[in-house]
Amino acid sequence: MAKETLNNIKLGIFISSGLLILIVSLYLVGRNQNFFGSNFYVRCRFSNINGLIAGNNVRFSGIQAGTVNQIQVIDDTTIEVTLLIDKKMKPYIHQNTYATIGNDGLMGNKVINLTPNMVPAPEIVDGGLLYNKKKPYTDEMMETLSNTNNNVEVLSRKLISTVEQINNSHALWSILNDTTIPKNLNVSLSNIKEATVRINDMSAVITDIAKDIRDGKGAAGSLVADEKVANDMKQAVAHINNAAQESEVMVARIDSIVKQVQQDINNGHGTAHALLKDTMLVSRLNNSMSNIEKGTAAFNKDMEALQHNFLTRGYFKKEAKKNKKAMKE
Amino acid sequence: MIIFMQLRVNVTEFCIDFNCMKIPSSLLGFFNEIGAASRFVSRYFQEVVQPRYEVKQFIKQCFLIGYRSLPLIGITGFIMGLVLTMQLRPTLIAYGVVSKLPVMVSLAIVREIGPVISALIFAGKISSSMGAELGSMKVTEQIDAMEVSGTNPFKYLVVTRVLAATLMLPVLSVLSDAIGLYGSYLGVNIRDHTSLSLYFFEVFNTLKFGDVLPAIIKTFFFGFAIGIIGCYKGYNSSKGTEGVGRAANSAVVISSLMVFIIDLITVQITDVLGLN
Repeated sequence: MAKETLNNIKLGIFISSGLLILIVSLYLVGRNQNFFGSNFYVRCRFSNINGLIAGNNVRFSGIQAGTVNQIQVIDDTTIEVTLLIDKKMKPYIHQNTYATIGNDGLMGNKVINLTPNMVPAPEIVDGGLLYNKKKPYTDEMMETLSNTNNNVEVLSRKLISTVEQINNSHALWSILNDTTIPKNLNVSLSNIKEATVRINDMSAVITDIAKDIRDGKGAAGSLVADEKVANDMKQAVAHINNAAQESEVMVARIDSIVKQVQQDINNGHGTAHALLKDTMLVSRLNNSMSNIEKGTAAFNKDMEALQHNFLTRGYFKKEAKKNKKAMKE
Repeated sequence: MIIFMQLRVNVTEFCIDFNCMKIPSSLLGFFNEIGAASRFVSRYFQEVVQPRYEVKQFIKQCFLIGYRSLPLIGITGFIMGLVLTMQLRPTLIAYGVVSKLPVMVSLAIVREIGPVISALIFAGKISSSMGAELGSMKVTEQIDAMEVSGTNPFKYLVVTRVLAATLMLPVLSVLSDAIGLYGSYLGVNIRDHTSLSLYFFEVFNTLKFGDVLPAIIKTFFFGFAIGIIGCYKGYNSSKGTEGVGRAANSAVVISSLMVFIIDLITVQITDVLGLN
């Protein structure tokens, strides 16, 4: 008897759990399909429902709001779709809300998406008609995708030829394979870095100098800022101009003299001709010069003898002392 | 009726002359079997509504048929869910829709695999045991003894078993579906990570009444077919231990075949009703 009771309890638990799972499953399925709870109807019209069927989901801003209840053909260009919407969503659905037919994922079932309009409008009424908005269908998207694919194909072909050209370029590969280039590049970069630092320092110095010049400091500053120096400079420039004019005159005179001398030489007249062309005069001059040298040597010896003479020796000592003192001062 | 009885007597011969027509004995045997089975079924429906009801025996059979089959069907359902998930996953990854794994597995399990696999396991376990049990009782003349003692053996043995099988298989199928879906959830989590709530949200977001109700309803027919075939084969087994073995074996084979035939018919009906 006790065993029978135990078996009955086990059987009860078994059946109850099975029924409970069934009931819960049916409730969850029914809740998703709006079989329970209060609902209201909304209509929308399309020219092409693109495979939408009764039972497909309706989403309001991505939230599950209801299901497609009925599909009716009104005329050859209009199909009316009746939506069963959860009453809890009613305050959020306005009369100007857009209804579009979309896909649940790329390959999923069709869904109706309700998109709120930013423009204020009254709340939708039971059986009210919603606006529709045409969205690009999968076929249109596939066509665009096909065009994009063609473009990608062209691009990839060009890219392949470019890569081939790069691969076949010996010059480029020799540059890439040269191991000294990175080292040189590093050295160059470090040099550039150092140069940049120096340029920075120099620019700072130049800035200081420019500032000093602007403030009238130093020779350049006084040159720029001091009016007196500027006047002196003007005068100096004027004098230089005068000197240049006078030198021009002088050069003209020298030129005329040179021409005269040239003429005399050519004609065999004058001192220049005698000096440059007359060989007799030259030999005489040479003899005179050697006589002068001999005379000068003899004079030097006489002067040396005078320095050692007891009569004149004191005078020379005095002169030597005077010179020494002058040198010290 | 007289002709029918005569035909039943002569089916062992190669062929008989029936109104100057040569009819193969195998065909006659087939029709004979159909006729006998139809009578058996009609007797069942007569007996099931007529008092006295064998409630205690019915509950006992529910326990033996339903509760005792749960571990076997539960393990099968769990493995089916897990294996189906792991087999489907690479294909769905190839198409970039691996997130739809709960959707596909739930539809497959709830609509088809759960009920059919449960029914096949149920047929293997219950139909054979019914055939063997009733066959043994027939061979040992226990059924005759019950008739002599005033007990209606059909009501006591057949009605209770068939009714229990009819009512228990839907319960087992629902539990098998639930266990299978849990197995599928574990299968998803072997490679990916999905929370239990998200997984079952996806499952129930996919399922519709058109998926659940036909699947549940057909399990009543599966259960009835398995019970009635098991009981018919056992109740009408031939004498001897060989007959018992043949009854058990043919009960399993025919009930398994019937499961597929009923499934085929159900699919056609749901298709006509627009539930597919």
